[in-house]
Amino acid sequence: MSRGSGGGYDRHITIFSPEGRLFQVEYAFKAVKAAGVTSIGVRGKDSVCVVTQKKVPDKLLDHTSVTHLFPITKYLGLLATGMTADARTLVQQARNEAAEFRFRYGYEMPVDVLSKWIADKSQVYTQHAYMRPLGVVAMILGIDEEFGPRLYKCDPAGHFFGHKATSAGLKEQEAINFLEKKMKNDPAFTYEETVQTAISALQSVLQEDFKASEIEVGVVRKENPDFQVLSVEEIDEHLTAISERD
Amino acid sequence: MGDSQYSFSLTTFSPSGKLVQIEHALTAVGSGQTSLGIKAANGVVIATEKKLPSILVDETSVQKIQSLTPNIGVVYSGMGPDFRVLVRKSRKQAEQYHRLYKEPIPVTQLVRETATVMQEFTQSGGVRPFGVSLLVAGFDDKGPQLYQVDPSGSYFSWKASAMGKNVSNAKTFLEKRYTDDMELDDAVHTAILTLKEGFEGQISSKNIEIGIIGTDKKFRVLTPGEIDDYLAEVE
Repeated sequence: MSRGSGGGYDRHITIFSPEGRLFQVEYAFKAVKAAGVTSIGVRGKDSVCVVTQKKVPDKLLDHTSVTHLFPITKYLGLLATGMTADARTLVQQARNEAAEFRFRYGYEMPVDVLSKWIADKSQVYTQHAYMRPLGVVAMILGIDEEFGPRLYKCDPAGHFFGHKATSAGLKEQEAINFLEKKMKNDPAFTYEETVQTAISALQSVLQEDFKASEIEVGVVRKENPDFQVLSVEEIDEHLTAISERD
Repeated sequence: MGDSQYSFSLTTFSPSGKLVQIEHALTAVGSGQTSLGIKAANGVVIATEKKLPSILVDETSVQKIQSLTPNIGVVYSGMGPDFRVLVRKSRKQAEQYHRLYKEPIPVTQLVRETATVMQEFTQSGGVRPFGVSLLVAGFDDKGPQLYQVDPSGSYFSWKASAMGKNVSNAKTFLEKRYTDDMELDDAVHTAILTLKEGFEGQISSKNIEIGIIGTDKKFRVLTPGEIDDYLAEVE
């Protein structure tokens, strides 16, 4: 007998629907897309690069305060796609956790450990009714001592995977299709190729050429494992290189 | 779980006496990737499909089969994030047992404690049941054992079992092929053939995972190379 859906609350809190789905989690994914921004991450042979759109909705806004790219520690970066407020609490908690880890265990928190921690926290929100899932997809990047450059993506459902390249946000699927073609034969990109693949993927998918002030780029490199946000001049160099190449 | 505003259970009885949230959780399990387990005379094998959402995903970063103790392993069908929570809790319980009794936890006890956790989430305030079924494989003094635990918290010991998308075909296949005196190697071959039955696409060492435990009582996940060898034997 297929009765109703547990009183119709399956859309309001994270309990199962009759098909075994969690609607609140699915709506959280929609909220990520509703932010209207697309992000891309690419892992190269010895570097990782993440790129996102920088949409400043009002000229009166201080554009330096608009950012989705956050350093978590000196060596770990986090790109948050989706609801900015949710992103900020996630970043705050991640920074706290990474700092405690360093204090407790005496070495830097590795990329996959931080990603797992974020994903496990997201899972709690999908199982406990008192908190809604966060409307954020987080991409974490860093250079792992053992495994080299690492890129992880964590979503509102609590899933996390390591990626060779990935995307999140409005044009996620188009970007992934683009990247699958580029990464098909397991290329080992140099630093320049990594950054240019990420930026050109974004340009291709959104079908527009960017000015350096309209995107944010974050990188980690084996030679310099500090997480760095590229300056406008550095972004310009890469944009020029891409347009000259084409 | 002191979610004060939600100090009432979300899983309640329907007029027909069913716990509907648990049924929905089982539906979630049923739409998960197929996994199976076979108990042989001298060991246990568990296996699962490992279909990743894109070729861009680094398959070495994902391991669906996990060990709970050196001699107990587990695989799931259903929601991966929920599985991680159960693995963490079970590992802790196994360690606490060891600290108290100075010996490794028997398989039945670990299964019972994990099942208890799953049952608690069907009755406590403000939480939903886990959307996973587990297959626990272990080898202790009582020999090789295979248990299946469901979202309701009920568990049974099985000679062979399957869960997830292709469960009915897989179980029919296993019923035909299972013999009580199977050796571990035969069981691995049977596991691969069972997975192949409902597999969409080309089966390879990159899209399945296999874990075994033998008389050495050491649970381990097979390397892609070893899976390739078994696949070649099966062809």
